[in-house]
This record gives sequence, C-alpha cells and structure tokens, in this order.
Amino acid sequence: MTAASVPAAQAANRPQALRQSLQLSRRAVSSMLRQPQVLVPSLFFPLFFCALNAAAFDRITGAEPEFAAQFDSFLDFLLPATVLQGVLFGSTQAGTEMANDIEIGFFDRLLASPVSRTSILVGRLAGGALLGAAQALFFTGILTLFGASVKGGVGAVAVLVVVSSLLAVGIGGFGVTLGIRTGSAEAVQGAFPLIFVLMFTSSAFFPRDLMSGWYRAVATYNPISWILDSLRDLQTLGWSAEDALVAIVTAAGLAVLSIVVALGALRRRLRTTT
Amino acid sequence: MTGDTGQGDAIISATGLVRRFGDLVAVDGVDLAVRRGEVFGFLGPNGAGKSTTVRMLTTLLRPSGGTARVAGHDVVSEAGEVRRRIGVALQDAAIDPLMTGTELVRLQAVLFGIPNSIAQKRGADLLDRVGLTAAADRRVGTYSGGMRRRLDLALSLVHEPEVLFLDEPTTGLDPMSRMALWEEVRYLNRERGTTVLLTTQYLEEADQLAGRIAIIDHGRIVKKGVPRALKDEVGSPTLMIEVDADQRVAAEVLARYGTERTVDSGMLGIGLEGGAQQLTSVVRALDDAGITVVHMELNAPTLDDVFAEATGRRLEGADETESDVDAPPPTPDRTEDDPSAVTEGQSGDEPPRRRRRSAPLRAS
Ligand SMILES: Nc1ncnc2c1ncn2[C@@H]1O[C@H](COP(=O)(O)OP(=O)(O)OP(=O)(O)O)[C@@H](O)[C@H]1O
Ligand SMILES: [Mg+2]
Repeated sequence: MTAASVPAAQAANRPQALRQSLQLSRRAVSSMLRQPQVLVPSLFFPLFFCALNAAAFDRITGAEPEFAAQFDSFLDFLLPATVLQGVLFGSTQAGTEMANDIEIGFFDRLLASPVSRTSILVGRLAGGALLGAAQALFFTGILTLFGASVKGGVGAVAVLVVVSSLLAVGIGGFGVTLGIRTGSAEAVQGAFPLIFVLMFTSSAFFPRDLMSGWYRAVATYNPISWILDSLRDLQTLGWSAEDALVAIVTAAGLAVLSIVVALGALRRRLRTTT
Repeated sequence: MTGDTGQGDAIISATGLVRRFGDLVAVDGVDLAVRRGEVFGFLGPNGAGKSTTVRMLTTLLRPSGGTARVAGHDVVSEAGEVRRRIGVALQDAAIDPLMTGTELVRLQAVLFGIPNSIAQKRGADLLDRVGLTAAADRRVGTYSGGMRRRLDLALSLVHEPEVLFLDEPTTGLDPMSRMALWEEVRYLNRERGTTVLLTTQYLEEADQLAGRIAIIDHGRIVKKGVPRALKDEVGSPTLMIEVDADQRVAAEVLARYGTERTVDSGMLGIGLEGGAQQLTSVVRALDDAGITVVHMELNAPTLDDVFAEATGRRLEGADETESDVDAPPPTPDRTEDDPSAVTEGQSGDEPPRRRRRSAPLRAS
C-alpha cells in the first residue's frame, strides 16, 4: 500500500522541496552575513596575493613580448586568478558549516523532520554559490579600480560571475562531502591546503607558456587552468562564445560531479545511522 | 510482526529493540507499549540507553535489531510518515546560535511543510506560550539554557504532532523553569491529547508527570508500570538509620524487623515490615544493644526504592558513578548481594539533587 503512494507523495512534495531549499539557502546566507569574520580570509588573502604578485612580476610585460601582446599589465593577468582564488577559499565554508551542523546536532533537527534530504544539500551549496557570485563582483570591482580592465565587457563579467558560482558549488560540494563523512569542522578545515595545491598547480599565477616540465603537464590537466585560461581570454581579448562555453561547461561539470559525490555521502550517512 | 497487532492501541510500540555501537550494546532488547494519550516516563541513570532508544523511535538511528512502530508506522521502512507525526526535542537542544527564535520557528514550519499563513500565527502563539515573545527576535546564542529548552519545546510543537518525544527536557533547568515545563507538558497532554514520551533522570519528574513509567538500566527495561503500583510493590516503608557504633551489630538488630534495603552509604536500611508502628520497638532494641542512633528516617516507598529494588543501586547519585558507564555492567546478582560496593551516594538528610550539567542560567 505504501509502495503505490510513494511516487504520488513525492510529486506533491516537489514544491515543498523547493520551499525548503530556499529557506535553507536563506539560512546559509544569513549565517555567513552574521559571522563576517569568517569571510575575511577569503576576501583578504586573494587581494594580498594579487598585490604581491603584481608588485613582483609587473616587469614581465616588458620582458616577455608574447605575454605583453595579450596582457597590458600583470594585474590584468591576475584578475581571474584572484577571483577564483577567493571563490576556492570561500568554498570551504559550506563544508565547515555542514560539519558544524552535525557537531551541534542541528543536522538531527533537520533529519527528524520530513524535509527533503536533497534540500539540506541544496541549501548549503546555494549559499556558497551566492557567495561565489558576490566575490566575483567584489574582486572585479576592486581590481578595476586599480587599473585592471575587462575587454570582454559585461558579457565577460557575467561569465565570471556564473563560473564563480558554479565553481563554488563544485569545490564546496567536495567540502560538504568531507563534512558529511567526518562530521568534523576541523577535518574540513584541515583539508584547506588542498585548495592551495589546486591553485598553485594551475595557471593561476604563472602563464602556462612560461612553465615547463611536469609542472606544465600538471597545470595543463588541472581543470582550474582550463577555466582560468578561458576567463583570461574573455577578459583580455574580448568576447568569445567559445571561451565562455569552455569556462562554464568545465565549472558546471565540476559542480555536477561534486553534487553527485555529496549526495552519495549524504545517502551513505543516512543509511548507516538512520 | 504479530506483536505489533497485539498492541492495538499502542501509539508507540517497540519489540526487542537493540542498538549496538561496536561492542557496546547500548540498548539491549527493549519492549515498550505507550498508549495513545498518555504521558509515559522513561527513567534511567546516565548511559542507561534512554537517548539511544529515543533516537531509534524518532528515526534518527537505525536499530541493530527489533522493530518499532510510532503513530502507526514503522520507524525504519516508513520513517517519513513517522517524522510527519512526531515532535522531537532532543537532549541537547540543538539550536543554531546565529538564528533568532522567530527564524527557527519559521524554518521548522517550512521543514514540516506548513503554509506561511498558518505558520506565522501558530509560531507566534507558541513563542508566547513558552514566554519567549520578548526574546523572539534575538539570536538564540544569547538565550539562557532555560530559554533554549523552551524554544526547543516550541519548535517541536510547530506541526502539532500526535506524539511528542522529550529527551531529558528539564535537565539543567532551575526549579521554576522545570515547573513551567511540567505545566506545559500537562497542558499539551490534557488539552490536545498529545501522547508524550519523556526521558528523565529525576524520579520526581516521572512521579509528577507520568501515568506510567519504564525504568531502563544498562540497556534493559528492569521495571514497568504505574508509579503508584510500583511503589506498592516495594511495600513496606524504608527505615534508614545512621549509628555511631559498629554497623554490623546494628544490622543484626535491624534484620529482625525487615529485609535489608539499598540505601545511601554510611546508612543502614531495611524495609520496615510492620510499618511505622514498629518504630518504637526498633529504637528500643537498638538501645538495648547499646547502640546510639545518630540519624533516623522512615520513608514511604518512592520510585527510588523501586529503582533500587530492581537494580540494587540508587538512581540519585548515579552521576558520581558515571565513569562506570563504560566499565562492564555489574551483574545484578552481585550488586544485590553487595550493595555497599556500588553506591557512594550522598547523605540522606537532604533531598537528593542533581549536580550534573547544572549550567548556570545566563542572565538575559
Ligand atoms: N554514537 C554513539 N557511539 C558510541 N557509543 C554511543 C553512542 N551513543 C551512545 N553511546 C553509548 O551508549 C550508551 C547509552 O547512551 P545513551 O545516550 O542512550 O544513554 P542515556 O540513558 O541517554 O544517558 P544520559 O542520561 O547520560 O543522557 C552509553 O554507554 C553511550 O556511551
Ligand atoms: Mg541521554
């Protein structure tokens, strides 16, 4: 008797699931806004690295004609990297918060209700996506003030925002997975250095043309490089649908993959405990 | 399976419920039948398995064995249906400190699929009933322990559940807040017909609130029934004396008047078979034996006696032996033979009081 009523009940629950996801996203966002100190590192460090790199390497535009042909200044080169760095730093937040919910028992409050289990995940990741979009605008704004330019115009900025959101979900989802599996905010934060590895083995800080050997090989296969290179071209060479597509599809692919993994972790946790 | 149908009017029924954590058997074959409309007390010391049982009944933990049905549905195969019908306030009121009371009520309503139009009024009413209207828009992080508990209760009621699970709802509350919570539980039960299963370590709480109780110890139910009847079962009142002389001699004298009972250490206890009338004879006999009585009291049977009789230990004071929880449980036989080995309870002069988790209420 229950077998027959399940699909019907699920269909009726779809608007509920949406409402629940929205409400949980809202909670994620407001909890970020209520502890702004947590966001400071993900806003400050990228700017710090950017300033450092810009100061250290600005003469590269004079020394490397090939580089100079594309980039008016090293700041131009650094803009997408700065944005992505901020997004990556910020994306651990979702995982930390998820683990925190488990630690304080709030997760149990959610589980004791008939809330759609997927909403719990969606709420967390949607919060991260919004943060990612906000970061994209924030960094673009600041770097533009200091002289960086976006030749691809509004379209390129829009792509940057979308990609940032997707990437926040993509990386955030892995953090959430870790949070679900360990139930420990410390464990999630302990994985933070992996974000650095991801950044530094990409073309974030050095043009790939100037790399060599294994470093170049790794950077070539790092999806962050694909996204970065496309974003850079959009920004410095002008609008190109192909570049936009590569960046968005790569980031979306990462997002889908990590959602699938996180859902798996959630199911597993629910299966072993409840 | 046939057991389920046998407990026709039971709104909560558990059969052979077991939960293991590795080698530890936290809940070891619990059978329960809670009737619709009653307040059922689940009593036991630290680590007895109360929360673990509640978590299984509320679908938060999968049983390692046995079955349970709540509000007409199986807690494992129909967990969603169960969740819709129950309200849960867990032991550690897990509340996001960054959210306000109002926000949490709204979130809870959304989680249970209650339309905004209804949720708003109901939420405001609930906050009002638990006395949190003034604090409703403050972050929960600034609430006192008592306020959190009350908010937790309000949250568990947003969807007007048929069955309410309260896991140690008054632990850490001051007497006033405790009384207020009792009042609320009575109101819910009386006016709304809500079935309540509440766990507690306080005998008085079980006595005050519960129509029927079950006592759990080391994962097993050791006693079940109506408090009054359980006390009557113990029968004779407990005579406790403290002497300044050799306890053994005094014990020999006392043995003539009743069987030995487990009491706080430093005291001797018997079930005084002839009741209060025998008191003068006892005093005379002790006097004849040259024993000076330092302290003496005669107590009508309490739930504490019920617990002591079932387990060989006193429930109050269980916190001092909390470290025993992880040690292999003493076998009932041994503890009955050698009661002095188990408790190191406090003096019986004062009503026993919990010290555990007596978090000071923060000023609001
Ligand atoms: N998740 C867990 N993993 C391992 N052991 C656990 C877990 N949860 C509970 N236990 C153990 O199971 C036993 C019963 O615990 P439970 O929390 O059910 O006791 P309780 O009666 O609620 O005690 P208290 O009055 O202290 O709340 C304890 O020995 C506890 O250490
Ligand atoms: Mg407990």
